[in-house]
Amino acid sequence: MKKLKPGLKPSMYKEICKVLSQEKVAPGHFVLTLESPKISKNAKPGQFVQILCADSTEPLLPRPFSFLDADSKKFSILYHMVGKGTEILSKLKKGDTLSVLGPCGNGFGLRIEDGGWRIGKRQYLMVGGGVGIPPLYHFSKQLIKNKISNKNIYIFLGARDKSLLLHEKEFKKLGVHLYLATDDGSCGHKGFVTQPLENFLSSILHPPSSIRIYTCGPTPMMKAVSKIAQKFEVPCEVSVEVPMACGFGACLGCAVTVRDEGSTGHRHAIACCEGPVFRGESIVWD
Amino acid sequence: MGLDLSTKIGKIKLKNPVLVASGTFGHAKEFENFFDLKKLGGIVTKTITLKPRLGNPPQRIVETPSGMLNAIGLQNPGVEKFIQEKLPYLKKIGIPVIVSVMAYNVEEFVEVVKILDRESGIDGFEMNLSCPNVSYGAKAQASSVKMFAHDERMIEEVVGAVRKATSKTLVAKLGPDVSDISKMALAAERAGADVVALINTFMAMAIDIKTRKPVLANKTGGLSGPCIRPIAIRMVWEAYKKVKIPILGIGGIMTGNDAVEFLVAGASAVQVGTANFMNPSASIDILQGIQNFMNKEKIQDLNKIIGSVKN
Ligand SMILES: Cc1cc2nc3c(=O)[nH]c(=O)nc-3n(C[C@H](O)[C@H](O)[C@H](O)COP(=O)(O)OP(=O)(O)OC[C@H]3O[C@@H](n4cnc5c(N)ncnc54)[C@H](O)[C@@H]3O)c2cc1C
Ligand SMILES: Cc1cc2nc3c(=O)[nH]c(=O)nc-3n(C[C@H](O)[C@H](O)[C@H](O)COP(=O)(O)O)c2cc1C
Repeated sequence: MKKLKPGLKPSMYKEICKVLSQEKVAPGHFVLTLESPKISKNAKPGQFVQILCADSTEPLLPRPFSFLDADSKKFSILYHMVGKGTEILSKLKKGDTLSVLGPCGNGFGLRIEDGGWRIGKRQYLMVGGGVGIPPLYHFSKQLIKNKISNKNIYIFLGARDKSLLLHEKEFKKLGVHLYLATDDGSCGHKGFVTQPLENFLSSILHPPSSIRIYTCGPTPMMKAVSKIAQKFEVPCEVSVEVPMACGFGACLGCAVTVRDEGSTGHRHAIACCEGPVFRGESIVWD
Repeated sequence: MGLDLSTKIGKIKLKNPVLVASGTFGHAKEFENFFDLKKLGGIVTKTITLKPRLGNPPQRIVETPSGMLNAIGLQNPGVEKFIQEKLPYLKKIGIPVIVSVMAYNVEEFVEVVKILDRESGIDGFEMNLSCPNVSYGAKAQASSVKMFAHDERMIEEVVGAVRKATSKTLVAKLGPDVSDISKMALAAERAGADVVALINTFMAMAIDIKTRKPVLANKTGGLSGPCIRPIAIRMVWEAYKKVKIPILGIGGIMTGNDAVEFLVAGASAVQVGTANFMNPSASIDILQGIQNFMNKEKIQDLNKIIGSVKN
């Protein structure tokens, strides 16, 4: 596995990006599209950008957001308005500008040595919840662009209710298999998204070695997905969400406890550069 | 107009007064793609300890009004790995390198500095005296003393001991959680420090009111950022009136004007910390800001600004 060391990769840029569009896509959720010649061209699924929401000291630090989509000239993010920074973002209009740093982090597809995600006959299972869904959309699109059949992509989305199954329609347009779950049963399975995942893994005939699981969402969900993956012996990658300051390995603030061969049995990985994507089994969940 | 931005701290001549603060600039490589590191006045490394340290468990940081709390717990590879893996790169940059060091007791402090003192490419040491939970030296005043920086006798003892171990520039970095900062600065001066750096982060805390738990796993953390600047300015101003050695001003510097404020208060140079997280090239933007101020005010020589506060 090619492990990224803290430190900057040559493909990280600071850009002043112009807002191309902003659209409300669900209650409290927005898609913001920014013009960016450099960052977008280098964006990999699972990587993120650091957005400075204000030109003042309030809020102070940049905010991390995963790519929802990116092409050679622009990229978009899908965000949930939860506090000061995202509230400022929600008021931006076409033509406004933002200072953005990226692409940050490693991205999905860690297992380069066994072909990463480029292997054709593989089944790609992606499990997302809440604002963990956007990077999975980017990843699905990228796989299809890389000639992987949409029939080999299985998306499992979970949400509180129907209105929060983010980007469901766009996933449908990709023609991937879609499994939905809502807490209130307003759409799909009533309950956690991990149930359809487990049902699926119990029913299929593919050998576990041909399956890959990718997950991003609330920590309890990713922990459950990681356990299920281990039970079925399927390799699993999780994208963690932890509070961050710099986003490029300078502050050592975004620590994640991971297993280590050393005497203590664990160490603190820096999520913004060694992650945010980790092998599920490497994370010490509690 | 050719501005003279040079300034001196101890034996180190700086071509300009902008350094980067320990723990906010990694070991410099993290920033190499954002700007030409040679433009900096100097670099202070992340604090190094004798043995490697894993650092504190997460959560380590939280944003607060115009500031942030951190409890990184001095995660670092230890002095041997620092010399093997980080120092060669730092040396190559070609600007003054000050290695920040910390230890839990006087003997260990001396040992770390002795090991580093044998290496070339290090211009000075900054003693991080704000290490929590030090084993108390013989001269500790009371059991309430938690850090070297909290007690003038301990400052004198540890700085004095390290002074004997190196002839390179020695910076004593003080913590702000004391009743009289100038007394602490005077203790460092008496013990042979060439420079005092003011200040480290303030001990602080944030609580999640729903769970009633401290937000940081370490419970308390160090407050940094623009919210601390007025206090840091006051401390530099107070110390400047008492000590003869140069002062490095630190605390919430975001712009060139912020840096100038420290210089006016009496700092011979400044260190940029938290601003590096918002903008990786903040340090050289701040340097440009100082130059803009000098041009506008028709000041040729930086030394005309240092300590120019009118009382
Ligand atoms: C790698 C990464 C990728 C991310 N991708 C996305 C994304 O695609 N879309 C999206 O909407 N969000 C994403 N996030 C989370 C996003 O960064 C936070 O929601 C955002 O920083 C909140 O900023 P704010 O100023 O609006 O809220 P604040 O005012 O800072 O906080 C509001 C509330 O949210 C909580 N909070 C703040 N930051 C986080 C965090 N990182 N994790 C959990 N809780 C937090 C606070 O504790 C507080 O309760 C991502 C985070 C990371 C680390
Ligand atoms: C994330 C973080 C890590 C820090 N680590 C160190 C350290 O290892 N050693 C040290 O002496 N100071 C450390 N500091 C303190 C800074 O060097 C500086 O004194 C302080 O942050 C005040 O300056 P600022 O407001 O410009 O950040 C750290 C600060 C932050 C925010």
